[in-house]
Amino acid sequence: MASSASSPARRPPGLYRLSRLLRRLSAVVLLVLVVYLATVGYSAYELASSSHQSGGFSASFASNNTVAVTGSLSVTNPGFYPVSGFSIALRIQNSSGALLGQLWQGPETLAAQATTSFPIALYLPIAPNSAASSLLENDQVLTVGVWGNATYAYLFPVSIHFDQNKSWGAPFADLRVSLGTPTIVNGALVVPLTLSFSNDASFAELGILTTILESSAGETCGTVSFTLNVPSQTAYDQTQNVVLTSGCSVAGGSADSTFTGEGTTVALPPEPLP
Amino acid sequence: MSAPPPPVPRPATSSVPSLGYRILAGGTRLIPLLVALVLLPVAVLTFLRSHGVTLPVSIVTVEVAGVVISVLSTLRYILRPTSAYGPLSVATSSVTVGYLLVLWVQSTYRFALPNSSVAIAVDYSRLVELALIVPLLALAAGLVTTVEDLRHPGERLPFDYPP
Repeated sequence: MASSASSPARRPPGLYRLSRLLRRLSAVVLLVLVVYLATVGYSAYELASSSHQSGGFSASFASNNTVAVTGSLSVTNPGFYPVSGFSIALRIQNSSGALLGQLWQGPETLAAQATTSFPIALYLPIAPNSAASSLLENDQVLTVGVWGNATYAYLFPVSIHFDQNKSWGAPFADLRVSLGTPTIVNGALVVPLTLSFSNDASFAELGILTTILESSAGETCGTVSFTLNVPSQTAYDQTQNVVLTSGCSVAGGSADSTFTGEGTTVALPPEPLP
Repeated sequence: MSAPPPPVPRPATSSVPSLGYRILAGGTRLIPLLVALVLLPVAVLTFLRSHGVTLPVSIVTVEVAGVVISVLSTLRYILRPTSAYGPLSVATSSVTVGYLLVLWVQSTYRFALPNSSVAIAVDYSRLVELALIVPLLALAAGLVTTVEDLRHPGERLPFDYPP
């Protein structure tokens, strides 16, 4: 008969087993955390090293008196963990700090080992007296503020912010409407109107620019249309005769110009007449 | 007449290593602990600082906490056959919890990339909260061992050091 003194323990005491269980659980959690951290570190390095493309951005006139800045952002996530709640905000300000437009995109999830593209379309209102109307006639440096938020690998909320300065070329830079010496042609008062500007924008201008000459009282004195086909980075300077309404004086009035292109109509800021 | 209760099967012997052996093994074990808890973190912090990224936790905090935890862990290992093992386990875990709480308080890290306008904020508080599970479980284990040693001194030795 085997004595209890020499028999091996088959079942340790309860407290011992409880303590051992707690220690093993602790070790398992530690091991899981170490493996998780190692893979997160590797994935984050891969994510940071991968190519993220923000290409194809372009500006153009859009409907409703807006300039559309469109493009896409392509993010490659080669790591093991998704980027969840990815959202991006853009704010465009002019040099004096006025807010011209803003955009909020997301939240989206960037799947692991995949490339995700985000279309970006930002519409800047350019109607007369709006904050962004200066974009039509003034070349300027814009500040593009970018805010991004996301949660990486389930546990790490990350936010990023940066500002970028972007040069803006105005499509009707230095727009000038000048009147020549009036003459009488076939009994009608005719005045030569010279329209000049520089298309400093990144896009060509195709359409018709209509200028209405108004008296100081707001009465329409005459109308003239220019057919535009102005490539990017090109100056424009054309003169046409305007037949003025009898008895209507443009002195102290204004020239109101409207550009009509494909699917868009843009009202330009009024030009005062001498 | 009722039958006597069955005897609790329990090994009566254990093979507890000598103190000298435990000191030697503990000292050997101390080296990787110091590497993992002091040298490696300090090297990472120093590397990041040299690249303009300064984490909120100071190198001194990492060094002190790492050394204290390593030494306590080694002492715990050496004194495992004694009743000091449970309290030392509690002390080691408590210091680790305190260290993680210090990291947790500073767990939102903001930094600006050098020579750029890029500002990044990373919040690793959830990771620290998860990491707290490890010392808290060890703390509970230490408390249980302390109670066991108070109630039945030496009871665990044959299981910790089987013959």
